[in-house]
Amino acid sequence: MVLDPAHGGTDSGARGTGGIHESDIVLEFAAQVRTAFRSQGFQVVQTRQGNANPSFDDRSAMANAQRGAIFVTLHIASTGTPGTARVYVMNDLPSGTDATGLIPWDRAQAPFASLSRKLGDQVQILLAQRFKGSPSAAQIASVRQLRTTAAPAIAVEISSVTVEDRAQLDHMAPGVADAIARGAAAFRPTYVLPANPGERP
Amino acid sequence: MTPRWRWWFIGALSLAVVIAAIYLPILRRNIRQAAKLQQRSEEQARRELTQPTVVNPSDPKVKAKLFWASGADDGTISPVTVELPLATDPVLRSKQVLNTLLAGPVDTELRTLPPDAALLAFYLLPDGTAIADFSEALATSIPSGIESEQMAVDSIAKTLAANVPQVRRLKILIHGQEIETLAGHLDLSQAFVVNANAGPSPRAAAANAAPQPFLPDRKR
Repeated sequence: MVLDPAHGGTDSGARGTGGIHESDIVLEFAAQVRTAFRSQGFQVVQTRQGNANPSFDDRSAMANAQRGAIFVTLHIASTGTPGTARVYVMNDLPSGTDATGLIPWDRAQAPFASLSRKLGDQVQILLAQRFKGSPSAAQIASVRQLRTTAAPAIAVEISSVTVEDRAQLDHMAPGVADAIARGAAAFRPTYVLPANPGERP
Repeated sequence: MTPRWRWWFIGALSLAVVIAAIYLPILRRNIRQAAKLQQRSEEQARRELTQPTVVNPSDPKVKAKLFWASGADDGTISPVTVELPLATDPVLRSKQVLNTLLAGPVDTELRTLPPDAALLAFYLLPDGTAIADFSEALATSIPSGIESEQMAVDSIAKTLAANVPQVRRLKILIHGQEIETLAGHLDLSQAFVVNANAGPSPRAAAANAAPQPFLPDRKR
């Protein structure tokens, strides 16, 4: 499991009027998600521990270097009904291989699109049960971080940095962590790895 | 103060309180409306300064569909029909609808694009790829997040799809530059599919068959 707390460093992401920074909150969410993943028997790699800001490609590379990884990037929105959570999966990319038979880096997500949707739907269903007003299925968006990730990959976005009290977001963290971990655990049996590395899933 | 004067004084004071209770909410509402009008007129003035007028009153008025936030607070956008004089030339027509989109809906809460963003240039390549160059405010003033950035791009792409059938794909530039993301989330490095079934632009026939940059399609 590759867990990505988005932003970091000089990029604080979304900022609320109450001084809430997306980059700080996602790091705290990630700690709870990591614990929930471990309780489901997953090994966890985190793309950043402190206030670093690896590039999109560096974060994807961490997932692409693992065989059979699942990638989850965590975000806090500036919009949306506070107290809701949405899962996004990448829109369809033209799939195919280059002249060397390898999947092009900028379309690495293409062969995993249907698996990402399955994972996204599993997690979104559980989030919708916990957080009223959340959609019932994963949504499609052109998320940059997902495009170069060669694994089932989802972005989870929580609303929002506009809450008056940061405690409102803190209260959501255990539920979000549990939903993501249980969704990934439910998805795991359907994720069949190809026999040889480099083959399509 | 005699008891009689005291009663007069209390009576006058009570009357003043009642009048204030009635008048103050009206005054507050009037001030809010005046501020809103002033804000709108300032925005209009800036828009007139920064954007060339591309509306020709002699163009036939058509019912244009513009996509703004639906108001459901769920990240969806919905069409609003507006009667506009639109040119038949696809580039001019695209500029007209995008400038109207940027001007925003009557209810400013339903905006999908920042009020200070402007369309700097618009090109249509012979293969139907539109290149829309926006000012930096599109990237810097938009609320950061997947939902808000996706709504912004959706509103641009769907408005073009509904009004300019010649546009097949859309590439967004910020101040003439290709950028990786809109505001940290949404991928702007490649083109978005606007209308996969669109026929070739009338210009395509006249244009040279020059090699076009590869812009992989994205289905939405």
